[in-house]
Amino acid sequence: MDCNRFQTWGNRRDFLSRTGLGLGAAALSQLIGSAPARAAGGLPGIPHFAPKAKRVIYLFQSGGPPHLELFDPKPMLSDRFDEELPASVRGTQRITGMVSAQGKLALQPSKYGFQQGGQSGQWISDLLPHTRKIADDICVVRSMVTDAINHDPAITFLQTGSQQPGRPSMGAWLDYGLGNANENLPSYMVMCSVPSKGPPDQGLLSRLWGSGFLPSRHQGVQLRGTSDPVLYLGDAPGISRERRRLMLDGLAEMNGLQLESSGDPEIEARIAQYEMAFRMQASVPDLTDLSKEPEETWQLYGEAAKQPGSFARHCLLARRMAERGVGFIQLYHRGWDVHGGLTDRLPVLCGDVDQPAAALVTDLKRRGLLDETLVIFGGEFGRTCYAQGGANREKYGRDHHGRCFSLWMAGGGIKPGHSHGMTDDFGFNIVKDPVHVHDLHATLLHQLGIDHERLTYRFQGRQFRLTDVHGKVIRDLIA
Amino acid sequence: MKYFMFSALAGLVAVTSAGRAGTLQFNRDIRPILSENCFHCHGQDASKRKAELRLDTAEGARALLEKGAALVPGQPDKSLLLQRMMSHDPDELMPPPESKRSVTEEQIRLVSQWISEGGEYENHWAFVPPAHPAMPAATAWDRQPWDALVRARLEREGMQPSAAATPAAWLRRATFDLTGFAPTTAELDAFEAAVAAKGEAAFSEAADRLLANAAYGERMAAEWLDVARYADTHGFNNDSARSMWRWRDWVIDAFNRNLRYDQFITKQLAGDLLPNPALEDKIATGFGRNHVINSEGGIIDEEYRVEYVADRVRTLGMAWLGLTMECSRCHDHKYDPVTAKDYYRLYAFFNQVPEWGEDGRVANASPLIPAPTKAQREHLSKLEQGRSALAAGRVPGEMSGKGLGEVLTWLRTSVPVVPELPENTLRLENKDGKWINAVKPGQAWGKGPDPTAAAAGMHFPAEGDWKLDGAAFDASSNKPWTWQSAVRWEGGEGVLLSSMDYTIVESSTAHGNGFEIRITAEGRPEVRMAQKWPAYAIQAVGIAPLAKDRWHHVAVVNHGTDNARGFRIFVDGVESAVEVLHDGLSGGMGAKAMRMGSATGKNPDAFHGSLEGMRAWSRVLTSKEIVDLADSLWVRSLPEGPAGSEAALGSLERLQGIVRRHDAGVREQEEKWLALRSGELEAARDFPTVMVMSELSAPRPTHVLMRGNYDAPGEPVTPGVPESLLGAWPEGAPRNRLGLAQWLTKADHPLTARVVVNRFWQQVFGTGLVKTSEDFGIQSEYPAHKEVLDELARNFIESGWNVKALMKSLVLSATYRQDSRVGADLLAKDPANRLLARGPRVRLSAEMIRDHALAVSGLLKPRIGGPGVYPDQPPDLYKGVVVDAAYPGTKWTNSQGDDLYRRSLYTFWKRTVPHPVMTVFDMPDREFGCVRRSRTNTPLQALTLMNEPALVRAAGHLGARIRGEGGATDAEKLTFGFRLVASRQPSEKEAAVLARMLEGLRKSYQSDPTGAGEMLKSADVVPAAETAAADLAEAAAWTALASNLLNLDETITKN
Repeated sequence: MDCNRFQTWGNRRDFLSRTGLGLGAAALSQLIGSAPARAAGGLPGIPHFAPKAKRVIYLFQSGGPPHLELFDPKPMLSDRFDEELPASVRGTQRITGMVSAQGKLALQPSKYGFQQGGQSGQWISDLLPHTRKIADDICVVRSMVTDAINHDPAITFLQTGSQQPGRPSMGAWLDYGLGNANENLPSYMVMCSVPSKGPPDQGLLSRLWGSGFLPSRHQGVQLRGTSDPVLYLGDAPGISRERRRLMLDGLAEMNGLQLESSGDPEIEARIAQYEMAFRMQASVPDLTDLSKEPEETWQLYGEAAKQPGSFARHCLLARRMAERGVGFIQLYHRGWDVHGGLTDRLPVLCGDVDQPAAALVTDLKRRGLLDETLVIFGGEFGRTCYAQGGANREKYGRDHHGRCFSLWMAGGGIKPGHSHGMTDDFGFNIVKDPVHVHDLHATLLHQLGIDHERLTYRFQGRQFRLTDVHGKVIRDLIA
Repeated sequence: MKYFMFSALAGLVAVTSAGRAGTLQFNRDIRPILSENCFHCHGQDASKRKAELRLDTAEGARALLEKGAALVPGQPDKSLLLQRMMSHDPDELMPPPESKRSVTEEQIRLVSQWISEGGEYENHWAFVPPAHPAMPAATAWDRQPWDALVRARLEREGMQPSAAATPAAWLRRATFDLTGFAPTTAELDAFEAAVAAKGEAAFSEAADRLLANAAYGERMAAEWLDVARYADTHGFNNDSARSMWRWRDWVIDAFNRNLRYDQFITKQLAGDLLPNPALEDKIATGFGRNHVINSEGGIIDEEYRVEYVADRVRTLGMAWLGLTMECSRCHDHKYDPVTAKDYYRLYAFFNQVPEWGEDGRVANASPLIPAPTKAQREHLSKLEQGRSALAAGRVPGEMSGKGLGEVLTWLRTSVPVVPELPENTLRLENKDGKWINAVKPGQAWGKGPDPTAAAAGMHFPAEGDWKLDGAAFDASSNKPWTWQSAVRWEGGEGVLLSSMDYTIVESSTAHGNGFEIRITAEGRPEVRMAQKWPAYAIQAVGIAPLAKDRWHHVAVVNHGTDNARGFRIFVDGVESAVEVLHDGLSGGMGAKAMRMGSATGKNPDAFHGSLEGMRAWSRVLTSKEIVDLADSLWVRSLPEGPAGSEAALGSLERLQGIVRRHDAGVREQEEKWLALRSGELEAARDFPTVMVMSELSAPRPTHVLMRGNYDAPGEPVTPGVPESLLGAWPEGAPRNRLGLAQWLTKADHPLTARVVVNRFWQQVFGTGLVKTSEDFGIQSEYPAHKEVLDELARNFIESGWNVKALMKSLVLSATYRQDSRVGADLLAKDPANRLLARGPRVRLSAEMIRDHALAVSGLLKPRIGGPGVYPDQPPDLYKGVVVDAAYPGTKWTNSQGDDLYRRSLYTFWKRTVPHPVMTVFDMPDREFGCVRRSRTNTPLQALTLMNEPALVRAAGHLGARIRGEGGATDAEKLTFGFRLVASRQPSEKEAAVLARMLEGLRKSYQSDPTGAGEMLKSADVVPAAETAAADLAEAAAWTALASNLLNLDETITKN
C-alpha cells in the first residue's frame, strides 16, 4: 500500500528522502549550495545515537523451523513420549485446524541429537554441524514469542510489526530512517530461494519487502537469480553501453531544457535517477559476477553456492552486498512448513542452510565486517511439542506454534556465545526472558542507532512506528 | 537555488501566516497543536485519560481541577495548559519527555495568543455541514464562479495567479485528467483552430467531447479501483484468482452514463437491498467484497471473517466518511469523537453477510451470483424466445381430449419400463426389485434384509444406520457419474445420501469432507462436494422445488470437472436451473462410504420421507435417458385401478409432460423443447460470477469486540451511526446498509460530499484541497481553500451529485488553466502549490504512462471491459515467491494478440506479486483501499522505461510511425514525434538537441549493422529481407530516438 505523500515535494528533507537514491554528494551540494550533504536521504537526527551495526542481514527461514529439533533440546519429551500434553501447560493456547480434530495432543520428542558447541557450550542440533562450529559467534534466543499461529499473519508480523498487511517492512523503515549510504546500489535488497529438494509450499508476498504506507521508493529491490538480476536492468540487444550513454546524454539535455523552462525541481531528480540507473547497470553485474571469487570461497559456502538462486549463493551475495554497503539484506528460504513431513524434509532444509549461514558469519568475521553487520537467522514461529498425527519415534510431524520459538543472531553488537531465554520442559511455554517480536524489532533498531519510539511516520492522522505501541530493547542481548 | 533550504515549518507558515494577521482560529491554528500533543492522554478516550483532564472540549479545558484550570480564558498566566508546556521541570513539562512529543516555541506562542484572545473552542470544521461561502466580487479572471475564492485568497497572501497555459497545454492536461490519454495531433490541431475561431466556447466543447468519450469511464474507474481495493486475486499467501471484473465493468459504465454519485454510493453499499434490485444493482455490491480473503489451511474462521467486516468499515471510512474509523476498533478514537461503540454499531451493518473467514482457494467466495454480460443475456434471451415460440406453436397430440382413465391406461402400455441400464453401480429397489447394497451396521455387504418399508419405498428416518460402501457408488468429484432416486418428501431439510461428517470439529481441515445430496427446507434438491465444509466445497441447488408428500424423480449428473459447472440437477426428468452457492472445491473429492437418510448417525438433518429406486451410474446419462427413467418410474408407481388419487399422480403439468413425450404426434416437438432448455442452462453455466453482498436470514448479533479481538465479545450493539456527531438517521430509513447509504447521501451530511469532491479535485490538481484525503478528522490538515471545498461540495449536492458537471467545472476553471511554470520566488513561498497560484504539474500515474506509450506508438487496443489480461511480464517473476500449488492465478502466461496491448486497468491484478511496471510507478498493491498514491522518482522507473520489453516494442512502433507519418525531412519527423509524446512543438533549442541526438544514433548504428539488426528485432520492427544496411541503421536510430522520446520527463508528466 504505497499510499501517502501525494503532494509534490516541498522542502529539503522531503526532497532528499524522495530522491536520495540517485544523488551523489556532488550533485547534492550543487543543488543545495553549502548545506552539508547527508549520505543520502535519511531523516534528520537519525541515527539517534551511535550505532553498533551499520547493516542487517536477515536469513529468514519461511514456514516455521522446529525449535525442538534445532536449538531447544527437551530430553523430558523422550521420557513422556506419546503422553497427552497436560492441560495446565496448554492453557488457553489456540490450536490450528490442522490438528483440532486429533483426539490427542501426544508429546513428541526430537529424534535428532544435540551437542554443545565451542567454548560457550551452546546446545545445537546434530542437524546443524556447521552452525555448531560458530557457537561462540552467535547468540541463540530460545524465548522468541509471536502473536500469530498461521503463516501469512506471522510472517507479516515479523516483517512489519503487524499481523495485517499495510505496514512498512523492517527494511523499508530503515531505508526511510537511515537513507542510503551507497551511490550505486539500492539500500534494501531481497533474495528468495526454495529448498533444493521437496516442496517450497507456502508462498511469499512481495509486500513482505514492501513499503506499506511509506513512499514506495523505500521498498526492497529483489535480486533475482536470472540474467536480469534486477528487473529491466539489462539494455535491449543493440543498445551497447556507449549507445546508452549517448541516449542518456541526449535525454538529460532535453530534460534540462524542460527544467529550465518549467522550474520544476522534480526534473532535476529525474535526471539524477537516470544516472543512478546507468550506474546500476554496471554495479549490479559487478555485484553478481562471482568469477573472481577464489576456490576457498566455494569451499567455505559449499558447492551449492555455484547454483544461481540457491540459499548458499544468496549468502555469498549477501556478503558481497555487505561489502558494498547495502543497508538491509533480506534472504528468504522457503519450505520450513514441514507439518507431517518433518522427518523427511528437515535434513534437506538443514543441508541447504547450515553450511552457508555459518560460512557467511565466518566470512564476515575474517573480513572485519561482522562487528558492524547484524546477522539474524530464524523463522516466523516454532512448531508444537505434540505430534501432528500420532507420536512416533522415527517419523512424525509438528504443527505451528507461536508461544515460543528460537532464532540466532550474530555480530552487530550482539553478545556472542550467549544463550538467551528459556522455555519449559515441554518446549511449549517460555519460563524466562521472553523476547516478543516487537522487542526483536526494538533491539534491531537500537543496534542501528535508532530509538524505536522515535522513528515514526504520520499516516491516517497518527504517528506509526515499526513497534506499534509496544517493544522494548532487550539489553541482555547486547554485548 | 536557495529555495531548497526551506523547512517544513517555513512552508507551513508561508501558507497560513496571512490568515493569522487577525484573530487566531481554533480549528486552523490551535486544534492541530492540542490534537498532536495532548489528546492522546487528555482526549475523549476515557480509559486512557490522565489526571481526569480533558482538553478536547471547552468544558473539560475550563474545568477547575486540583491545581487550577487548564484554560482560563484571557489569562495565559493562569492557564495551566500553557504553563505546563513552558515548564523547565521535566516532571511538570507537558507533553512529558517520555512521550517523545514536544511543542515548538512558535506553537507555545500561538497557544498563548489564543488564550489571550479568549480561548474559544470551535466545532471541528469537517463535522459542520458545508454551506455556500460568501463570494468575493467577480473579475474577468474567473472562469467558474468559485475561481473568485481562489483569487481572493491569493490576494490576501499578496500573490498573483499565473498566466493561463497555452490552449494545447490545457488540452493535454484535460485529456489526461478526463480520459487518461494525451490528445492526438489531430485533436490538438482541431482545438487550436477552434480556440482561434470561437474562443472560450471551444474549451467547453472540448470538455464535453472528453466527458462523452468512453475512455472517460475507464479513467475515472482507474482511480476508484484503488479506493475499492479491486483485484483479480484473493490476497494472502495462496493469492489465487477471483472473478470481480463484472463489478469493475459496472464502475466504468456507471461513470460513463454519469450515474448520480449518491446512487453510485447506494448501489455499491446496498444495491441488493433496493426494491426489486436489477442484476446490475447486485453486481454493484461487489464493492463490499473486494477485500482480501484468506484460504490458508487451518486458520481460525471467525478471526478472518471479522477482518473482512472490519475492512468494509475501514473502506467506508476512507472512501466516503473521510474518517479513520479503524482507530476505534480496539479502543475509543484518540483524536476524533468516535467511540469503540460507534465503530461496532457501524460494523453491525456489514456483519450480516452469509460468508466464511476461510474461503476462496480456487474461485470466488460465497456469497456469489452469476453475472452474465449484456451480450450473454441477449444470447440467452434469444434462446428463451425460441423455446417460447416452440411452446406457443404446440399442436394438440393424439391423446388430447381423452379422459383421465383412458390416458392412464394408455400410459401403462405406451411408456416402456426402462430396462436396467449398463454400469448400474447402485440399486436400491423395492416393490418388484430387491433391496440391495444397503447395509445396517455390522452386516455384510449385499446381505441386508428387506426393510419393513412403508407401502412404497423405504421410509425415513429409518431405524438403524443405512450405509453404502465407497465401491457401491464412486461419487468422486473428477469422475463422471449420474445418480437418481424417486423421492417422497414430507418437509424439512433432510439428507438423502451423504459421505460428509459434520461432527468433526468445525475448525478441522477435515470437517464435512465428502459428498452429499439433500433436500433443502424449501424442497429443492442440493448437491454438496467438500474437501472442507464449507470453505472448500461445491454447493449447488436446483431451483425447481419438490412438492410435499408426492413422489418425484430426482437425478444429479456430474460431468467430472471438479467444479460446480459440472453438476446438473433434474426433477421429474426435466433439467432444473442450478443456483451455485459456492464453487470452491479445492483438491477434489474421492470415493467414500456413504449413509442414506442422514449425513452422520447424529445429524439433525435426517430425511423425512421415502426413497425408492435409488441408482447410480459411472457415466453421464443423456437428458433423454434421464427423462425416460423418470417417466418409467412414474408409470410403474401408478396406482392400480382406472384413476388413482391426485397425490399419487402428482401435478397435472407433470402428467401432461409425460403424455406429450410419449404421444407420437408431438413427441419430437417435446424433445426439441427439452433440448432447447438444456441449451439455455448450458449457456448459463458459462456466465462469469461475481461476489456480492447479501443479508443473513437470521441476523448475526454484533458485540463490541474488546481490544478488537474476534474472540472477546463485549457489550451487544445494534446497527447505527454517530448521529450526534454527523447528523441524524434519516426518518423511516431501514436499519440496514440501505438506510446507511441514505444517511451518507443526506443533503446535509457534513462529510460525504466534501470527501468525494476533494478526491476528484486531487485527481486533476494532484493534491486534495484537504491533503489527507482519507482523513478529514481532527488530525487532518486544515484545508488549503476551505471555502472552495465547501462551495464545490454544495454545488455537487445541488446539481444532483452530478460528477461530469463537477469534472467540467474543475477543468474549465481559471485556477486549473494556469500555466504550471514556476519561478524561484513562488517555489519558495509555496513549494507544494497548496495555494494554487500556478497550474498543476505532476507525473502521470502508472496506468497513464504505459497507456500513453501504447497509444502514441499505435499498439493500443481499445476495448472496454472483460476479464483481466496478461501483458508481458518477466516469465520467472513468480519463481521462488508464489505458492507451490496449482491454484488458479499462480501462473502467468502472457496473453496473445490484442490482449497484450489493452489499457493498463485491465491488467490482471495479482495482489501479492502485482505487475512490476505498475508497482514501480507507485500503483498500490490493493490489499487495502488507498485514496492517495505516493508519487516517487526512482532509478527503477528509469530502467523500466528504458528496457521493459513492451515499451521497447512501443519505441519500435513509434519510430516506424514517425518515419511513415512524420513528414519529409528529419526536422518535420522530429517535430511530429515530439508532438505525439509532449503535445506541443519543440522549441528551437529542443529541436536542435533532437536533431543532434538523431545524428549521433545514426552514425552509431551505421557503423554497427549487427547492433542495428538486434535493436530492431527486440523492438519488434521487422525490416524486409532485402533491406540495405543503411536502412537498417536508419530504422534502428529512429527506434532508439523514439525510446528516448518515451523516456522524456515531459512525456510522463501532466503539465
